[in-house]
Amino acid sequence: MNRTLTIAQRELTSLFFSPIAYVTLGLFALGTTSIFFIYFAPGEQATLRPTFQWVVWLLIFLAPAISMRLVSEEFRSGTIEPLMTAPVNETQVILGKWIGAFVYFCIILLAPMLILIGLLEFTSDPDYGPIFTGLLGLILVGGLYLAIGIFASAATKDQIISFLFTVFIISIFTIALHFIAQASFVSNDMARALYFVNIFGQYEDFAKGVLTLSNFVFFFSGIALFLFMAVKVLESRRWR
Amino acid sequence: MIEVQDLVKWYGPTLAVDHLSFDIPQGKIVGFLGPNGAGKTTTIRMLTGYLPPTSGRAVIAGFDVLKQADDARRMIGYLPETTPLYLEMRVDEYLHYRGKLQGMKRTLRKQRIEDVTERCGLEKIKTRVIGHLSRGNRQRVGLAQALIHEPKVLILDEPTAGFDPTQVSQVRQLIHELKGKHTILLSTHILPEVEQIADDVIIIAGGKIVARGAPAALRKSVGTQGAVVLEIKAAAEAVSTALSQVNGVKNVQVQTQSEGWTHAVVTANAGEDLREPLGKAVASNQWTLREMRHEAATLEQFFIQITAQQTRGT
Repeated sequence: MNRTLTIAQRELTSLFFSPIAYVTLGLFALGTTSIFFIYFAPGEQATLRPTFQWVVWLLIFLAPAISMRLVSEEFRSGTIEPLMTAPVNETQVILGKWIGAFVYFCIILLAPMLILIGLLEFTSDPDYGPIFTGLLGLILVGGLYLAIGIFASAATKDQIISFLFTVFIISIFTIALHFIAQASFVSNDMARALYFVNIFGQYEDFAKGVLTLSNFVFFFSGIALFLFMAVKVLESRRWR
Repeated sequence: MIEVQDLVKWYGPTLAVDHLSFDIPQGKIVGFLGPNGAGKTTTIRMLTGYLPPTSGRAVIAGFDVLKQADDARRMIGYLPETTPLYLEMRVDEYLHYRGKLQGMKRTLRKQRIEDVTERCGLEKIKTRVIGHLSRGNRQRVGLAQALIHEPKVLILDEPTAGFDPTQVSQVRQLIHELKGKHTILLSTHILPEVEQIADDVIIIAGGKIVARGAPAALRKSVGTQGAVVLEIKAAAEAVSTALSQVNGVKNVQVQTQSEGWTHAVVTANAGEDLREPLGKAVASNQWTLREMRHEAATLEQFFIQITAQQTRGT
């Protein structure tokens, strides 16, 4: 565990040292605040729900931007060699890097959000229940996207390919499933099943504030699945 | 300390390392030589556990590098060929990180970092960002990183690449100081480096060991016993015929130079010292001599000879 945290800590520091970090932070803060102010008017509900609905979309690009270099960069610069010849294994590397990226993501997500929540509190009397579950949902969605991202990143040494591959996989689990579920050849039961594996569908429950165990099972098992695949891909380097 | 048994590595259809076996006893510095593409880096990567061998095994300080990977890796300090480092980190930060990965406690880490930064000459650049350092300095960071956990075995892949001559001799000095404390495998293709510091040399070509022994012994086994170089003021043909008649001469190569001087390289049959008879021959012809020197066979000649044989053979 110690080594995992060592890798996580290094990853977090190095994310804050890269200029990309500040560009993503800036763009994301700008995006969320702009969306917020569209719905911020007298007479409107004191809620962040519409903002969150849009942020879920923004995450499709934010998460891959954070995750794209995680493993790819180690391959490109050759630092994978000293890393994998230190007494650490592939699981520790993937888990450590994911934790580092996840903490960074939470900071980027919460920084503008807390300001917006403060603004709501200052001007009106918001209902904190759905705000809390909505944020929790965003954090879980981000965690899953980052797991998908680190899997893609372990598969290539090119950051751009890693980014696009991540966006592609995420799109399958969001947009593509959404449209397939609406197609005429899909039965009602099938459509419901597709709704359950759709990340947006799962997020919906968080936005509404109605949570069941299955929502958490979905995100935790999704994260575990992609982290596991990332470990396997990284291990496969040895047998190629 | 390093035991390699029947190590084989196939990259798809290409055989990179072909049944390599060797032993390196504790405290020795062994030079690992070979032309580019001979399988040096592949062998080293298998020793450090970065690549698994196709067959065979490697044991470091009693630990199998695959089956007891963590224990074996703790015994190894490794400087990879291109010295990959995290460019955005500071030198001391990076050393702390490497120490933590080795499972070292904070106080021990601090003390070891003091020690290796001093030894590798990093005190002045300790707080600089690695990306801003020169190549030579990055190499020192790589070396410091390899030494941080006081490994029993040091594996250095081309440690002096990118250094200027002063720095090369500093690194050589450093390696010399490490002798005895660590068992060192030093891969290089710079021969003088090995001749000066290695106890033993392993030469590989085509993934196989083609020669092994102390540098001096290998030099002796070179077929040619060295050569005598002369510069004589006389016609080239005359010099060639006269010197060829001297007893024990195997071959004479002449070359005409300006102002009537002739440059001659005389090789001897094994075991003969030709300087005296050649001197007499020059005197008897009453030629003017401006240079006569004995050129000892170098490891370089041996290296070229042995690797050429290998390539011809395959």
